[in-house]
Order: sequence, then C-alpha cells, then structure tokens
Amino acid sequence: MTTRTGEWHADPALLSRYLAGDLDAVTGASVEQHVSRCETCRATVGRLLEPQLLERTWAGIRDGVERPTPPYPMRVARRLGLPEPTAVLLASAASLRGAWLVGAFLSLSFATLAAYASGGTALAPFLLAAPLAPVLGVAAAYGPRQDSLEALIVTAPYGRTRLILLRTLAVLVSVLPVTALLGLAVPGPAWLAAAWLGPALALVPVLLALAGFVGPRFAATVVSLVWSGVVLGATWAPLAPTWPVEAAQQGVYVGLAVAACAVIALRAGTDRQPGVAL
Amino acid sequence: MSVPTSTVELAGVGKRYGRTRALVDVDLAFDRGVTGLLGPNGAGKTTLLRIVATSIAADSGEVRLLGRDPHRSHADVTTVRRELGYLPQELGYPSDMTAFGFVEYVAVLKEWNDRERRSQEVRRVLEAVGLADQAPVRIRRLSGGQRRRVGLAQALLGDPKLVVLDEPTAGLDPAQRADLRRTLSALGHRSTVLLSIHQTEDVAALCERVVVLAGGTVRFDGAVTDLVATAVGRVWLADEPGDDALVSWRTGTGRHHVVGGRPPAGADPAEPTLEDAYLLMLGPDAQRVHTPS
Repeated sequence: MTTRTGEWHADPALLSRYLAGDLDAVTGASVEQHVSRCETCRATVGRLLEPQLLERTWAGIRDGVERPTPPYPMRVARRLGLPEPTAVLLASAASLRGAWLVGAFLSLSFATLAAYASGGTALAPFLLAAPLAPVLGVAAAYGPRQDSLEALIVTAPYGRTRLILLRTLAVLVSVLPVTALLGLAVPGPAWLAAAWLGPALALVPVLLALAGFVGPRFAATVVSLVWSGVVLGATWAPLAPTWPVEAAQQGVYVGLAVAACAVIALRAGTDRQPGVAL
Repeated sequence: MSVPTSTVELAGVGKRYGRTRALVDVDLAFDRGVTGLLGPNGAGKTTLLRIVATSIAADSGEVRLLGRDPHRSHADVTTVRRELGYLPQELGYPSDMTAFGFVEYVAVLKEWNDRERRSQEVRRVLEAVGLADQAPVRIRRLSGGQRRRVGLAQALLGDPKLVVLDEPTAGLDPAQRADLRRTLSALGHRSTVLLSIHQTEDVAALCERVVVLAGGTVRFDGAVTDLVATAVGRVWLADEPGDDALVSWRTGTGRHHVVGGRPPAGADPAEPTLEDAYLLMLGPDAQRVHTPS
C-alpha cells in the first residue's frame, strides 16, 4: 500500500473498518497517519461518521453542562425507581432540599431525646414535633413564594392538585420513616411508637383543605397553633402525657381527616374552574 | 347544523371582582394570526387573557376554546391546556433555578416525559427567544428582559395552537422587540396568538388585528389599518395647540400635534398614527391613564 498523499485515497470500506476499530495495529496506524495528512480522506471520514451519533454525543455533553444537577435526595430516589419526570418536578419543591430535612430530623431527635431522658414523662416535645414535621414540610412544599409559579401550574395539563398531592406524598415518604424509627426510642407503652401517626396523617389533609381557602402559610400557622394548644393544654391540665394520642382522641383525628378529605372533594366537584380545589 | 368554530369563542362573557365589573358581555372570536389587546389599565385585558388561558373562570357567558367548553369537565380543560402556551402578566421565577431548569420544569408540567425529547424541545424554545447561551445561567443572574424571554420560551413549548401572552414586550429593548416580532409572526402562521400590549407602536408592529378594550367592553375590533383609518381627518399639525383638542403636544419641529377637536387656524392635516386613533377611540377615558410624552 502506498501512502503518498494526493495520489492514493483510502477506500470507504477501509475507512469504515478504521472507524469501527477493526483494523490491526499496524494498518490502523498507517491509515491514521494518512488521514491526518489527506484532506480528501478526512472529508470521507466525516461523511462516514454517523451524524446521529455525533448529535447524540453533543446533546449528551450539552445536557451535562445545561441540565441542573438534582439535589442529593432526588438522586437517591431516582436510584430507588422514582420516574425521571417526577424527579424534575420534586427537585423544585423547597421542602425536599436538605435544609428542611435536616431541621425536621434535628427537632425530632431532640424531642425524642427529651422523652427518653425523662423516662416518658416529658412526652410533649415528641408529640408536638412528630405530627407537625410533615405539616410544615407540606406547607413549605408550596415554595417560598406561594404564588410565584401559580398561574403556570394552574394552566398546565399536569394539574395543580396532582402536583400538590405529589409533593405532599414526597414529604410524607421522606419524613415518616425517620419519625417512626425515633418513635421506637420513646419510652412508654408499645402502641405509643405508632400513635403519633394518627394526628400526623390527620393534620396533613386538614392543612390541604384549609390551604385551599386561606393559602398554605396561614393554614400551616393555624394547624400548628391548634395542635400545640392540644398538646400543651393536655400537659398543663394536667392529663396523662399520652392523652393527645389515646384511642378516643384518635377517633377525633380520623373524623377530622375524613371531614378534610370531604371538603377537598366537594370543592373539586363544585368549583366551576376544574383543578383549583387545593 | 354545524358551524365552523373558531379557536377561541367568547359569547356574552362577564367577570366581576367584588363590585368591580372587569368584563361586561364580551363577544369575541379569534383564529389563526396575531391579535393585540389594547386598552388603559383596568380595561379588562388581563382578565380576558386569563379566561382564555383557563386560569380563571368567567362568571357568565359562553367560553369555547379549541371547540371545547373548559368548564364542562376535567378532561375538556386538560385537552385545551395541552394545546395552550401562556405567559402570565406576573410570573415569579424561582431565582435559584437556571433558565434551562425552569423551562424544563414547565415542560414536565406539560407532559414532556421523554427526557431526550424534552431536552431538545427546551433547547429549541430557548434558542427561539435568543437565550441558547444563557441556558445554564441562574435566573437571578439574568436581566429583566432576559427573564421575560425565559417566560416567553416556556409559552412556546410544543408549538401550542393557542398562545396567550400578557404583556410580552414589557422590559424588552428595541432589538429584542424586533426578535419577538419575528418569533410571533412565525407563530401566527400556525397558531392563534393573543397578546396584550401597552405601547401602541408595538401593536402596529406585531399584530394584524387589534381589539380595544375599555371598562370591560370591546370598543373596537378590526384590522390595525382600519383603526388608524378612523382617525383620518382628525389629526393636524398646527402652529398653536387646539382649543378643544382631545390632546395636543409640541413636537420636535416646534409645531403642535393636535388630535381631535376643531382644526386650529393654519393647521395642516397630518397622517394619523395608531396612537392617535386609539386616543380618539377612547376619548377622555384614555387620557387619564395614557398621556403621550
């Protein structure tokens, strides 16, 4: 094979094999040397390179530069099977950022520690924090400025109600397991470890129903104050430390949750503008 | 009997906020092309656009978008929203999002679920508004005009059939306005584009049709040239301001531009502008909020 440029050009079949890496080392090296000096063959190589492959590679590079890196909890959730579009939606929710998670974890830990150190008599901090952590998380999930994207979210086919429920679910999934684990460390009867779930799961729909009328901030304030009143009132009365989560009271929470869900459903059904119930 | 329906049909549409009547018995229909809404503040432009964008419901009257009643069912309104691009008047941007991140977020809300296709579409619309280079930049680092264009970009996602833009030219410089004009005229060939604008010169440049709203009612609906034509013979250049002119001001040449009223002595008829026609159309209503410099 002569490699004098200007007289000889590598045929496309040879170049294809070169591009695919099918040539032996010596032939490959000599083709490479020829191509580096021969403009005609370089042009042929350019034509042979699959344009789509180039485009895809380029798109991948641009993605790496332009696409924002999702926050750490989102990357973990993605690995656990969370669909990619859902991750994009959740990444923007303020409450899923680290600061809120750390805050919730710390306050719950201190509350648990207080209950543990007091041998179960100072239960109020834990009963206060456990149901309020998801409530505040859900309220924060509306974003720092609750109206910032409102008009777009309302008019998007995805649906505002669906988005709020998705965020609520994400908050519950991220905070409930931690609370459940800490609950195990609280001294007292075995049922206590799960008893806080009643108010926690009741207060979230109450918050959502209220937020539909007065906005998430005000709703969260009202719910927090009322729950604090219940827990502190029971401590001050004085009732048993476990009073706020005993069976009779749990019935009230179930009733509240049902009522709140009914309000949401009613608004969703009667509002002339579909999709604004929450 | 089947009547061919327009993309947007409003019949007897009314909306009130408390005791304020924002829209009163509005009948309008829109089809392919660019229509500009003109009117003083509080004329009902934003209310009208929000109704067409399915953001709020009308209190009374019939609204049909793409042949459907958006109030009838969730399925109907969702079908309409899939074909809708909307730039609200006030759009808060989460400032820690990048331009790309923000448009991508809206793309997911618009059900662009395939990651690769979504990326391509996000890049396409950012390119269309001239922000391809700013894609990885955080929104808080962008200028006001650039932010407005990020908002515009999301409204173009998926080439919607119905595009509603509330003051798209706010904060744009003349070069950016020219770009917007190009984008909109291309869009107007395929889609029904409805926009509200404050500057009359933008309407003349961007729109084929103009609707003048005042006090929640339609005062004019027709071609831009037809609106200008209503002012022919009612605008003069004179050496002194007109006594009973609707409005008059001293121009750079030292003569007075006189709109309405009787022609002052020695006045020469002047070519009316869209602004003159607009001012004459609204009469004293317009002057309160719209004083020419």
